[in-house]
Amino acid sequence: MDAPPVPDSVALIEARGLTKTFGNHVAVDGISFEVRRGEAFGFLGPNGAGKTSTMKMIGCTSPPGGGALRVIGMDPIAQASEIKRRIGVVPQTDNLDIELTVRENLEMYGRYFDVPREVAAARIDELIEFVQLSEKMTSRVEPLSGGMKRRLTIARALVNQPDLLLLDEPTTGLDPQARHLVWDRLYRLKQRGVTLVITTHYMDEAEQLCDRLVVMDKAKIVAEGSPRELITRHSTREVVELRLADDARDQLSASIDGLVDRVEWLPDRVLLYTETGDGILTEIHDRGVRTDSALVRRGTLEDVFLTITGRSLIE
Amino acid sequence: MSAGKIVRRNSLVYWRAWRTSFFLSVLGPVMFLSAMGLGLGSLIEEEQAFGGVSYLSFFATGMLAASTFQSGAFSATYPIMNKMMWQRNYDAMLASPVGVRDIFLGELGWIGVTLLQLAVPFFGVMAVFGVVDSPMALLAIPAAVLAGLSCASAVFAYTATLQTDEAYTWLFRFIITPLFLLSGTFFPINQLPEWGQVAAHLTPLFHGVELVRQVTVYNVDVSALWHVSYLLAMLAIGTMVGIRNLDRRLRP
Repeated sequence: MDAPPVPDSVALIEARGLTKTFGNHVAVDGISFEVRRGEAFGFLGPNGAGKTSTMKMIGCTSPPGGGALRVIGMDPIAQASEIKRRIGVVPQTDNLDIELTVRENLEMYGRYFDVPREVAAARIDELIEFVQLSEKMTSRVEPLSGGMKRRLTIARALVNQPDLLLLDEPTTGLDPQARHLVWDRLYRLKQRGVTLVITTHYMDEAEQLCDRLVVMDKAKIVAEGSPRELITRHSTREVVELRLADDARDQLSASIDGLVDRVEWLPDRVLLYTETGDGILTEIHDRGVRTDSALVRRGTLEDVFLTITGRSLIE
Repeated sequence: MSAGKIVRRNSLVYWRAWRTSFFLSVLGPVMFLSAMGLGLGSLIEEEQAFGGVSYLSFFATGMLAASTFQSGAFSATYPIMNKMMWQRNYDAMLASPVGVRDIFLGELGWIGVTLLQLAVPFFGVMAVFGVVDSPMALLAIPAAVLAGLSCASAVFAYTATLQTDEAYTWLFRFIITPLFLLSGTFFPINQLPEWGQVAAHLTPLFHGVELVRQVTVYNVDVSALWHVSYLLAMLAIGTMVGIRNLDRRLRP
């Protein structure tokens, strides 16, 4: 008994002025965004920016404090269990059932979703294969590595074949191999048409996975666009990173005016934001500035992020 | 209603260790009834003080209610806190169509099952010790389970508000244990000073103990209605407050 499919024109998630407060603390401050069917949408931001609170409201486990929110065209309070039937959630901290085996975790979760037993059995075989845990099928959850637990959590979130998958910091704490494996699986899900909503504070993760993203800072959305758009708008195509001796610093500061879009003087490095990194580097050397080391790299979301939210430690 | 799914989950976990669990629920009453009922009881000849029954009968019936009561209390502490705070099983359940009410009722239902698997062997041991002499006595089982569930619902409601497990030390030391000692399990409450007797009448365990004794070794009188009502009311209030507290806790 599946619910009728949602027309493609409807945004899967629509938030207008969405707010959440806990006592005096404003966790989410009037944010508006739309997630379309089939896209991978990201919430990028430092810890405490309000990403998880937003995810919990979308997942119907925390009632919206104000504003309007529709998830798959439905109301998250009145139709919470209908919405939950059609979404999958991968929470920030694994909450697998450690008293059950890998397979039992999925079976039990299938029951929570009323997936008929035979349907679930076939689906679980596929899912275990998909997240590459076939060899661990009968193992308890406890001895699994962090990456395996994450993959099992992802498989668990797929047991009801959701239209929408919510992933709260899916690779935080994983080693590089494990991260890439998770990314690869998420990419495949996206290709199959599953809409992904991802929170992360890893810039490379957002760039790898997200078609579109919003940057959150202090409970508000401060920028929105595709990773490329954001880089173009808030940073530059390329960045030149220089390490200089003190006298070379003075020399550079005397001769840099007008050459690049922006200069950032850090204690250990100088960053030049520009459209043409190699050209600028040649120009600087021509002007006689001696660099200890110089690196031309692409502008990244990290540059965007630090430009928008600043470099001071946010805690 | 998805509460049954929670019961199934718990029974799956429980099933792995049921032998140990069953063994302990037989061993417990055998030891208690031997030591306290027969051992201590053999020194107590004055049956008048115990409502005209042997000390063994008096003690066994009280102990049955006290066991389920304590077990109900314990079941609603660490095991629940673990799933709520440490393992976060409830968060995982809530991401599915399972709701807060399902979780509360499912857990309480499961506690009911475990109380049953405590009360039935206990009752069997009582029968072997010759305490039971009429089919009516079988009502002691639901009575004892009711006492345990009332207590469990209240303690669950309290657990839902806790941020650490420190409070449990106090709960057991200053509430559960004194109830155990002073609610008429070991000696009739008319041995207490007047104010103590009044206080005992207000405690849930007293009503559980009285109820079990009436159906087992005393005669049932109209006060049984009052005892049942008290326990049912406590169960109802504990459940209502508990669901509200758990909702506030899990869905902030």
